[in-house]
Amino acid sequence: MKNQQILPITNADEINNLLRRYGVKFGVYKNGQFKEQFFPFDPIPRIIEAEKFKVIESGLVQRADALNKFLFDIYHKKNIIRDGIVPEDFVYISSGYLPQCEGVTPPENIYSHISGIDLVEGKDGEWYILEDNLRIPSGASYPLIARELTRAASPDVFSENGIVDNRNYAKLLKDTMDFVNRGGINAILTPGRYNAAYFEHSYLAELTGAALVQNDELFVEDNMLWQKTYSGGKTRIGTLYRRISDEYLDPLTFNPQSLIGIPNLMEAYRSGNVAIINSLGNGVADDKGIYYFVPKMIEYYLGEKAILKNAPTYLPFYEEDREYVIKNIHKLVIKDVAEAGGYGVVFGSDLSEEKLESFRQTIINEPRRFIAQEVIDFKDLPILENGGQVMRKADLRAFVLSGETTRVWASGLTRFSRNPDSFVVNSSQGGGFKDTWVML
Amino acid sequence: MKTLNFSFATKLTFDNYVHSHCFALRCLPIESNSQHIVNCEMNISPFVPTKNTVDAFGNNVTAGYIGKEHRFLDFEINGCAEIDLSKPKTDYMPCYLYPSEYTKPDKNLVDFYNEISVKCNAEKPYERAVFFSDILSDLIRYEKGVTDTKTTSVQAFELKKGVCQDFSHIMLSLLRLDKIPSRYIAGLAVCDGETHSWIEVWDGEKWIGLDPANNCPVNEDYLVLSQGRDFGDCSIDRGVMFGAYTKQLQLITSSLKTAY
Repeated sequence: MKNQQILPITNADEINNLLRRYGVKFGVYKNGQFKEQFFPFDPIPRIIEAEKFKVIESGLVQRADALNKFLFDIYHKKNIIRDGIVPEDFVYISSGYLPQCEGVTPPENIYSHISGIDLVEGKDGEWYILEDNLRIPSGASYPLIARELTRAASPDVFSENGIVDNRNYAKLLKDTMDFVNRGGINAILTPGRYNAAYFEHSYLAELTGAALVQNDELFVEDNMLWQKTYSGGKTRIGTLYRRISDEYLDPLTFNPQSLIGIPNLMEAYRSGNVAIINSLGNGVADDKGIYYFVPKMIEYYLGEKAILKNAPTYLPFYEEDREYVIKNIHKLVIKDVAEAGGYGVVFGSDLSEEKLESFRQTIINEPRRFIAQEVIDFKDLPILENGGQVMRKADLRAFVLSGETTRVWASGLTRFSRNPDSFVVNSSQGGGFKDTWVML
Repeated sequence: MKTLNFSFATKLTFDNYVHSHCFALRCLPIESNSQHIVNCEMNISPFVPTKNTVDAFGNNVTAGYIGKEHRFLDFEINGCAEIDLSKPKTDYMPCYLYPSEYTKPDKNLVDFYNEISVKCNAEKPYERAVFFSDILSDLIRYEKGVTDTKTTSVQAFELKKGVCQDFSHIMLSLLRLDKIPSRYIAGLAVCDGETHSWIEVWDGEKWIGLDPANNCPVNEDYLVLSQGRDFGDCSIDRGVMFGAYTKQLQLITSSLKTAY
């Protein structure tokens, strides 16, 4: 399959109308108000050639495997700390590290069942990892339904072009849920329709045949998780796919104020009676500070060189790096390790000299709180705007599923910035998305 | 070695019916090198099947669920334990070196730490802890009713008063600033009609108990119920229930006596 022969999608408006009809939205909280936004779809796909995808795939499998081994190690023997590969401060000060999970082994030793790994393609053609998301990353449902609707609106595009069918995501997810299931049904726990990813919850529940549940119908008895049935009985849940943060998941173990959690879920989980997707305590591995150490982790656990590169990263925690960051802050991107969703990301080039100076002080005072990265000159992708094509920054969130084996979904969520000057592509910051075609 | 008989009872009464009541109790004493539980019986009323597990900190957790409407929850433990401090505990966790929810210091507490730590000539962790405890016992007044179970070390330090839990929390803040791993203990002490709290200090290879509220070493008159980073990991009972607005009344009685 050659690029130049690709048959284009010509009916973008129809597809966007269909997406609206199916309720493909995500929620945003702005100034204390909940708003639902339509997630704009751009019909020009990102195309990844088969050869190139093979490299990405093996790099992602390697990365997800190493991260799972790291999580197991941190909550058990901690060899990687003992051997001096990762400094202990980075692990134990991380807000994602949960001492309550010490010694707790998730079913089949899998911590990150769904890893959402964000990459960008540099102008040099090399792919770089931007960050790992191991706490139930969302987004797979958008390209999934877009592909479904595009197939309906432009069937010839898919019969003429050799594109890998990506409609197996639901199967991959179901296989993963089944593999770790401890007896009972699979269920997807949603905080409700005001959650940012509510569309995704309901769509994935429908596609995987899992029950879509809320916390008020769940309870733990005999250290097993149950769903109340309408007839007054109960159904056991063996796998719970959740999108509630760890600290709200069980008010009897974590934040006692939580009204969206399930009391004693931790007891059921620790007893090995329910699998939780993703497992608890994963935040310690997708901490922006830990990111720096992932290539070292891959060597440490797998004895292999990392196939995919990290963006060049500096940790102000190390004196040498701190000096570099202070000196070069104007050309770096600084990230607050505790923030997500494109918040807490600052480009030095956007700041006045005065602000830079105060930021330098903040970094000196709290070196553990930040990482700094070189701004990668990543490839722009064409998008349609007002009938013409313009070039915009875009990234790719790839989904890696860890079950019996580790598999990469041959697709992904390509997000782009609609603002020509912005490098930030997060959907919560007003970006759009594209389909990602992996070619046969 | 000392043999202690212990008993502990809690009566929770609600002034209206509640249902779907989920609870987790941490009141079955821990089995450890220095504490052997010879026997221990637990009774919960109304009758409810329960499950016991051991949490990450080594605590016994008794979990239960009462779906039906009820107006009270009573539980009690009775038993006998052998305490032998010549066999120290060695179960270490790295989190005991870092600030936790209740023990995160603020600027005041850090300033106070800087002020007293320069005066401390002791080198061994436990001796340093004793030095800090001496200062606290002069500075903080033991007073009931001014703090509650939500009070942090920062708040108690500002008030300069509190109960055993607050003394423990302030001590933990200071010790962790001093890079000494230390942990919170909830338990029973002889000559104390209620539950008590004290701390343990890691001296590099074992835990040594210290009772900051009484400013004295921990001897074999203490029974450990639970341990953790702070009160949050050790609460004797935590629960969530549903019902119309209800007040709850909790009565606790306990006794710890040397067995002859």
